[in-house]
Amino acid sequence: MNNKPRIAFFDFTGCEGCQLTVIDSLENHPELLEAVDIVQFREAMSEKDDDFSIAFIEGSCTRSSDEKRLEKIREQAALVIALGACAHLGGVNAVRNIQPLESVRRCVYGEKAEVYETSIAKPIGDVISIDGFIPGCPIDPEEFIRGVKRLLQGNRPLIPDYPVCIECKLRENACLFQRGKVCLGPITRAGCGALCPSLGVGCEGCRGLIPNPNITWLKEVMAEHGQSSERISAKMGLFMTNQILESEVIDVES
Amino acid sequence: MTLKILPKKALPAWLDGLHANYRLVGPRAKQENFVFDVIQNAEDLRLDYNTTILPPKKVLLPQQETILQFDTSKDFHQVEPVFEDTPTVLFGVHTCDMHAINLMDQVFGQGYPDAHYQTRRQHTAIVTLECLNPCTEFCFCKSMETLSVPEGFDLHITDLGNVLAIEIGSGQGLTLLQHAKMVRDAGPKDYQHLQDVMSEKWPRFAYQLDFDITELPSLIALSYKTEVWDSLGDRCLGCGICNVVCPTCNCFDVIDEVDFDLQSGSRYRIWDSCQLDRFCSVAGGHDFRSSRANRLRHRFLHKFKYQPETYKIVGCVGCGRCAQECLVHISPVDVLNELYRRQVPFASIEQEVLV
Repeated sequence: MNNKPRIAFFDFTGCEGCQLTVIDSLENHPELLEAVDIVQFREAMSEKDDDFSIAFIEGSCTRSSDEKRLEKIREQAALVIALGACAHLGGVNAVRNIQPLESVRRCVYGEKAEVYETSIAKPIGDVISIDGFIPGCPIDPEEFIRGVKRLLQGNRPLIPDYPVCIECKLRENACLFQRGKVCLGPITRAGCGALCPSLGVGCEGCRGLIPNPNITWLKEVMAEHGQSSERISAKMGLFMTNQILESEVIDVES
Repeated sequence: MTLKILPKKALPAWLDGLHANYRLVGPRAKQENFVFDVIQNAEDLRLDYNTTILPPKKVLLPQQETILQFDTSKDFHQVEPVFEDTPTVLFGVHTCDMHAINLMDQVFGQGYPDAHYQTRRQHTAIVTLECLNPCTEFCFCKSMETLSVPEGFDLHITDLGNVLAIEIGSGQGLTLLQHAKMVRDAGPKDYQHLQDVMSEKWPRFAYQLDFDITELPSLIALSYKTEVWDSLGDRCLGCGICNVVCPTCNCFDVIDEVDFDLQSGSRYRIWDSCQLDRFCSVAGGHDFRSSRANRLRHRFLHKFKYQPETYKIVGCVGCGRCAQECLVHISPVDVLNELYRRQVPFASIEQEVLV
């Protein structure tokens, strides 16, 4: 047995696109396989070993049975990293959290609603303590690789805490608001290289909020550009439902 | 002043000559805007540009640049600085941006001279361009005294219609001009023509500030406690775009990136922004400018008080890019005039009483 760090990948509620992105990242960085041993990765291999020190977890936690499994992973792993928007924020799955759970179950499972266990969609950090996260829907393969290298050095992944606007402007894009589009760039964490705005699509906020976002005034900006409050809420509810709910609770308390 | 005349029809051939011998960077169209970029074909150069999204500063201080490479696997730690010394011609720089470059030269040239900036600067010749019309509704160059070209240019061009008047600012500029054909010395008529164009342009630009810029340092100092900053801080998105598009902002972050062997890698720097939430977070978690209002005030203090005091140059050249890009319409002109208005309350009350 060698001394290479042993890494495992786990999936919960999600589309598994982040795991595919990990596999994809190996095309440009095959040296990752020299530096670590991947001992469990359902999406990519049949072998399975429960002796690991770094766990990457994809998907949100949506069932109480998930919580037990997460706790077991936490017990084993020295480092737990949330991989992608679902694990980091609850992801698109969290859209359900603002609706009555019963109607969500009826809508999805119909007559069989009682058969399936389901609950609100939580980021894994709400269930177990995590040591870092790689944000995004899906994750950025280069950011994942940089994150692994930082972990091997004994550091947390270095994730930007500034907004997408910075990266967008560094790429010399015209502001999408000036082109009649809506964009969550001013409140969303950068690191994606402003991928969507660079292609003319407003930021959907998949990487979550920056620290202390000015949501009030971004809503003013959106209204100034002719957006209805429903449209604004829908835009912010795609990936940020849990974070917005949290910030509203904080607002009420303060 | 040594003035030369170049027929406009000879410009493409001159640009081709420069392109063959230098990395030629100038304004070109990007969708409905303009950006400074490498000019491969003469027809891509747009001397009729209004303003660019990023200032030409990016040629001397790129958004992201590798500054050194390291390898610690050997007996001795190997560290190799990285310098960029491609001979470059920066063509078509407006006068406000030239003022900004002169300030950057001081920032990166004093104290601990920045060898990476210096190397690029020494290998970059600058051809400036006289502005004959305001570039956007947001520019306030006339108030900031940057509507005329400062020293430091290698060539300075004024569009006289069918011909370009070219002032030679340095020996390097003279060398650049040797790549042009059909250049002739300016005659008395040319000088007259230039004078006419210059005097016609002046009234087209408005003074936007209600006071003289020599008052800026004291105005900002006296406005330290005004509630203007709080209301601006409420509005400010803290997105940092104002810093990114500013021709004089020069803060950068330094980041190391290792290879998978964890022994070799590179260090790069990337533009930073003082308006960002975590800009003033230090080791231990303390944040000494944690509110947007404080950070915004600091930006004004730095540009209008600290830099004039340190470098004898105001840290804002009135290009208007920050006001143009700001989604919540925070404009230096509005802010400064508001501060000025609040500093003279007694005078205005007196006037109102008299009326």
